[in-house]
Amino acid sequence: MIKKTIQNIILEFEPEAKNILPALKKISAVFGYVSEEDAKIMAEYFGVSESKIFETASFYDEIKTEKQPDILVQICNSANCTVNNSFSIISEVENLLKIKSGRSVSLKFKLEEISCLGRCADGPVMVVNGKIYERVTKSSLHSILEEYL
Amino acid sequence: MKDIKIITEHWGKINPLKIEDYINAGGYTALEKFVFKMNPEKAIEEIKNSGLRGRGGAGFSTGDKLGMVANQKEKKYFICNLEESEPGTYKDRLIVDNNPHLLLEGIIISALIVGAQKAYIYINGNYEKQKEILEKALAQSREKKYWGENILGSAYNLEIEIFSGAGAYICGEETALINSIEGNRGEPKIRPPFPTEMGLFGKPTVVDNAETIANIPWIISNGGKKYSAIGSKNSPGTKIFLLNGAVEKPGTYEAPTGITVKKLIDEYAGGIKRGKEFWFVQIGGACGKLLLEKELKAKMEFGKECECPLGSGSILVVDKGVNIYDLLISWTDFFRRESCGKCVPCREGTFRLWEIAKRFRDGEISARDKEAIQDILWTLDNTTFCPLGKFAGTAFRDVVEKLKIL
Ligand SMILES: Cc1cc2nc3c(=O)[nH]c(=O)nc-3n(C[C@H](O)[C@H](O)[C@H](O)COP(=O)(O)O)c2cc1C
Ligand code: SF4
Ligand code: FES
Repeated sequence: MIKKTIQNIILEFEPEAKNILPALKKISAVFGYVSEEDAKIMAEYFGVSESKIFETASFYDEIKTEKQPDILVQICNSANCTVNNSFSIISEVENLLKIKSGRSVSLKFKLEEISCLGRCADGPVMVVNGKIYERVTKSSLHSILEEYL
Repeated sequence: MKDIKIITEHWGKINPLKIEDYINAGGYTALEKFVFKMNPEKAIEEIKNSGLRGRGGAGFSTGDKLGMVANQKEKKYFICNLEESEPGTYKDRLIVDNNPHLLLEGIIISALIVGAQKAYIYINGNYEKQKEILEKALAQSREKKYWGENILGSAYNLEIEIFSGAGAYICGEETALINSIEGNRGEPKIRPPFPTEMGLFGKPTVVDNAETIANIPWIISNGGKKYSAIGSKNSPGTKIFLLNGAVEKPGTYEAPTGITVKKLIDEYAGGIKRGKEFWFVQIGGACGKLLLEKELKAKMEFGKECECPLGSGSILVVDKGVNIYDLLISWTDFFRRESCGKCVPCREGTFRLWEIAKRFRDGEISARDKEAIQDILWTLDNTTFCPLGKFAGTAFRDVVEKLKIL
């Protein structure tokens, strides 16, 4: 497979306003985040200012504008998952990885609380590096995280 | 239960990935009827007569909305709102999972009614699997000439495109959604002008919720009058309810509007889960009100006049074993995170409520905090730019006023 470059990613999109968000999503998914350099190239291609690209990019959860940690653990804390004990899962991850939710101390791990993913009937829901796990328990949690450690 | 099923009728009985199954079950006959036997005016009349109101929250008359845009001569757009990020809500996802062609048929008919040549399906960014299902279904229906050029050999043309969101609750709000397709930050715009006058790319646009749209084929096939006889008078039809939490049979139930919460819990969801003690229910997701036992006779309807706006149709039954401080943090953290930041009262107010919720949990709440709560709730309710801010304090207020534990 040829290595994806920012140039050949944006060429998949016509330079129209409605393709700005899809292109940003794709760049963020492929490279992990949208860098300043990427934003510059995007801005030229779409004929808008660089700040406009950053304004849009920084608004959306799925688009990252900074390098992400190696292991990003996200746990839904919306009401249905809360009723299904997501807060005890959050504490367990904090203890296990010795980190605090929302604060990144290293480039290795980060724990974030996130909004409902629409899988409320199968909560608590956890996402590790984009992969979704349902009905997480304290014991299943350990085996899931082991795969990444 | 012998309830009439409109949305869920074929769920589990047909293979959602096979268009033939849907066609054999009578699918796409409403589209044929519309194309060959009706004109847009007649279809709008039927939808107006049905009394159908939008299922996306605001409960606006769908027939009126379609009519407003149909009347205009310019280029127009139709958008199916499948953002669905209200916590506890996944009914639109289930529609796609179980019968995507019903939704597509509704989208095609609605777009043709308003005279749009282009329709967008704005789908929640997390719904990747559903996006794939829709892509497959779209390819199948295009091949059968249900959309594209010269639909079923007629003069109607329609293009349909899926647009995937990128993780922002506010993008379910129609003007924010439009901003997002246009490549902007997903912030709401001032209304008026409403999207029906000046929507996507400045053109008249209808934004309809996916569940609303899924009712359209039935109304076209069976007539508006028949639809209006189902369920409640002021907002007829059926509604998908999602029951979760401390009930025996959590699940998805289609029931007529106007049904009481109590009946949904007792007769559909098998009653309160054995061994649990009922505390309250939350109706309609994070924005929703809390109801105590004595209020469960509230009828589930849409519109300003009704007792309990049913919102998205999600019902979370909370028992006394749940830690209320965790829930307060859950609600406040949601609005803090999802506030788009455009206006100060919402950006600051949601943040401060979240801080107060954390102090409650940690037992560090002060008299000043308790006073501040009232101010913040008032400010959210009265001074924010869009409904997100207005409803950000609803559940918090109900905890203060109804549960009386703070
Ligand atoms: C904060 C906020 C979030 C919303 N989220 C959604 C949503 O996810 N899906 C939806 O259909 N409508 C949502 N709405 C309502 C839309 O603005 C719009 O009223 C609706 O899509 C119109 O469709 P309907 O007439 O079929 O209900 C939201 C509104 C607000 C204020
Ligand atoms: S009320 Fe909140 S979500 Fe709405 S515009 Fe203001 S900051 Fe944005
Ligand atoms: S509340 Fe967690 S997925 Fe919906």
